[in-house]
Amino acid sequence: MSTLRAEHIIKDYPGTRALDDVTVSFDGGKVHAFIGKNGSGKSTLVKVFSGAIQPTGGKFFLDDKELCFNSPIDAREQGIATVYQELSLVPYLTVAENIYLGRLPKKGRVIDWRRTFSLADELLKRMNVDIDPHEKVYKLSMWQCQIVEIVKAMSFSPKVLMLDEPTSALAQHETQSLFQVVRTLRDQGVVIIYISHRLQEIWEIADTVTVLRDGRLVGVEQVSNVDHKAVISMMFGNVEIRKRPADLPVQDETVMEVKGLTRKNKFEDVSFSLRRGEVLGIAGMLGAGRTELLRSIFGADPFDSGEIIVKGKKVSRDPSPITMKRCGLGLTPEERKTQGIILIHSIRDNLCYASLDQISDRHVVNQARRAQFADQQVKDLEIKVPSVMTTANSLSGGNQQKVVIGNWLNTAPDIMMYDEPSRGIDVSAKQQIFQIMWEQSRKGVSSIFVSSELEELLEVCHRILIMYMGRIVGEVNPENLKIEDLYAYCMGGTIR
Amino acid sequence: MNIGGKKIRVELFSKKKTNVFILDHMIELLLLLLIVVLSVFSPAFLTVNNILNILRNVAMKGVIAYGMCLVILAGEIDLSVGSQVALCAVIIAYISKALAGAGIMPIEYGAAVGLLVAILVAIGMGVFHAWARQKFNMPTFIITLANLNIMYGLAAIICGGFPIVNSFPEWYVFTGVGKVFGIPFPALVFIAVFVLFWFITEKTDLGRKIYAVGGNAEAARLNGINVFRTRIFVMCAVQVMCVLGGMMNSAQVRSATFGFGRGWETQIISSVVIGGTSMLGGIGTIWGTLIGVMFTGVISNGMTLLNINEYMQYVINGGLMFFAVMFNTYMTRKRT
Repeated sequence: MSTLRAEHIIKDYPGTRALDDVTVSFDGGKVHAFIGKNGSGKSTLVKVFSGAIQPTGGKFFLDDKELCFNSPIDAREQGIATVYQELSLVPYLTVAENIYLGRLPKKGRVIDWRRTFSLADELLKRMNVDIDPHEKVYKLSMWQCQIVEIVKAMSFSPKVLMLDEPTSALAQHETQSLFQVVRTLRDQGVVIIYISHRLQEIWEIADTVTVLRDGRLVGVEQVSNVDHKAVISMMFGNVEIRKRPADLPVQDETVMEVKGLTRKNKFEDVSFSLRRGEVLGIAGMLGAGRTELLRSIFGADPFDSGEIIVKGKKVSRDPSPITMKRCGLGLTPEERKTQGIILIHSIRDNLCYASLDQISDRHVVNQARRAQFADQQVKDLEIKVPSVMTTANSLSGGNQQKVVIGNWLNTAPDIMMYDEPSRGIDVSAKQQIFQIMWEQSRKGVSSIFVSSELEELLEVCHRILIMYMGRIVGEVNPENLKIEDLYAYCMGGTIR
Repeated sequence: MNIGGKKIRVELFSKKKTNVFILDHMIELLLLLLIVVLSVFSPAFLTVNNILNILRNVAMKGVIAYGMCLVILAGEIDLSVGSQVALCAVIIAYISKALAGAGIMPIEYGAAVGLLVAILVAIGMGVFHAWARQKFNMPTFIITLANLNIMYGLAAIICGGFPIVNSFPEWYVFTGVGKVFGIPFPALVFIAVFVLFWFITEKTDLGRKIYAVGGNAEAARLNGINVFRTRIFVMCAVQVMCVLGGMMNSAQVRSATFGFGRGWETQIISSVVIGGTSMLGGIGTIWGTLIGVMFTGVISNGMTLLNINEYMQYVINGGLMFFAVMFNTYMTRKRT
């Protein structure tokens, strides 16, 4: 059986050390769960193993043979295959074609179809997978596609198989089918590295659990020797949660009520209320339905049933961003670059798109007011730009995010919804964005804040809703709540 | 003040600023250069009469180019413009002649009714283009390509394959050949439409919406901008401009036939693109389109004055469009 061994791996990026002296080994015939919160260095190590990046220092070995990759193709040829979260299948080709894409067996100069299908069939059978190699991929369900990805990776006969969050898009019962395949491969002696954010899966599928934190290896444990709590405290260590300022009173007036909101397969029966000046957090894992919920409330996507009441008035059944903007809502979308901002346009334009009605008198743009609106936000939000006429694509992520927020603040909203506002921006810009939320709260603007970074929610919010698989399963008060507990609630879907 | 004056001099002629200025106004500068060169080689070029002549010649395609500029800014395209020029001219002529022929009303009113119907048809086509875009998420390239053929066929059916003659009253003919204070009426229309569309793009919220939709339709939608309504406006604007262009064109030749406007779409789109409007949407100006239209107009006028073979003119026009787009793409990449 094979062993993948890493010794003193270091990876430096300008300004940060993503991996700090990581020494770890993975044996064949076992499933190794590999976990860590965002920014722990987990994905960096996966990238090192898969050949996507080269380490700054340290060595790694497969069965005592030192590995050196210049590209993912090198890694695959030397026995390490990776299945990524994003599927790479071509929908209108058959399963067999997808498996052997780019290296279809040939007879002379033409493709040997018979051999292609028989090879694929054999491979599928060996892995106990019941999928027809002649089937077109677009007809398969998500979990079947995920399995085809694994089969494709296995067609290179690797000794190590890395699975990057393979279950994130799957439902519970589909996960089981995938686990069956993983167990079959494990029994065949493959080293399986399993990356997942669903903590409970570890006890179901893994033999060992390896935890990374802040680029360092925290520990490797046998799964049978640890419980949820131990793993979570390994992941988080002692985090210091900063306190939000004391002068953020929540007023009694309810500004928005959501009752039984449902969108099929996205979220179900979501109810909550929001008070004036309140900062409400929504915690949950990726795919819990948080983004979908915000988008439906904002009218960007439809919903099937339920109702939204803003300032005592019921919103029509078929809202759009246009009507919700009129109701006083604003949304900074998750995908900043593709949905929040128009990259090729100037900062000034981007700061004034949502507020076009406010800056126009009978449809004619008041140039002075436009300049004033833009300058005001640049000043208030401390957006660092050489000039408001600079195009948005030249800005850093943090400044772009501030432009998106400023754009909405110009509409003088009552309710702001922030979807992952801190993603991909630096620490000081994050703090500035929290300051903006608090400042708005003092002015009586309510906020809904969705983030995958739980410590942010604890720091910023008055109240946190826990969302799990499309449902709100509970509500917690961030005062005196430990991050480990919040994480466990989000992972497990229950509040003990 | 001397020192201050010196400082300003340094600022004005700093190499970087000069370069940026040249790159940003490349087409304007090329147009100037072209005018200078043509004036030297052909004394007939820089005369009031010839300039007015150029303006009259570019006016018909020019007004449509402004509409096309809005469409391209909004990230769409309309390939059907040429056929709409023919269709509306034929509709006006047919209705005008039919109403007058049946003695229902004098031809003066008949042409007005025809014009009204043509405008309604154009608006209907524009709405249809935007609706199909919205409803079926079809690219406007395909929708309008299909309609290019449909409207061409309809125009041919209505006129029966022959020009409709003796169908226009004096006021109608005036729109093609008339002069106000010595200036050709089409030239005045060309300038008036420029002012109108310049005002829309530069001064109104609708203009900002057109840029936003073309720059990133999904971001525009999430900003609470009515993307569908904005697209309806631009698709209708260009079609209505086709009626204007078609009217002036048919008035000039005093007849209407289905062959009108054949191939105009390529010349119109190339003027817009030469004027610096990005085919990807969201970038460009009406001013640029004016320059682009004048540029192509001056070139073809100059080539005629210099007795350059008509077929050669096609080669030069095509080459121009290629280099204009190449230059724009290069500039866009350089800026980002």
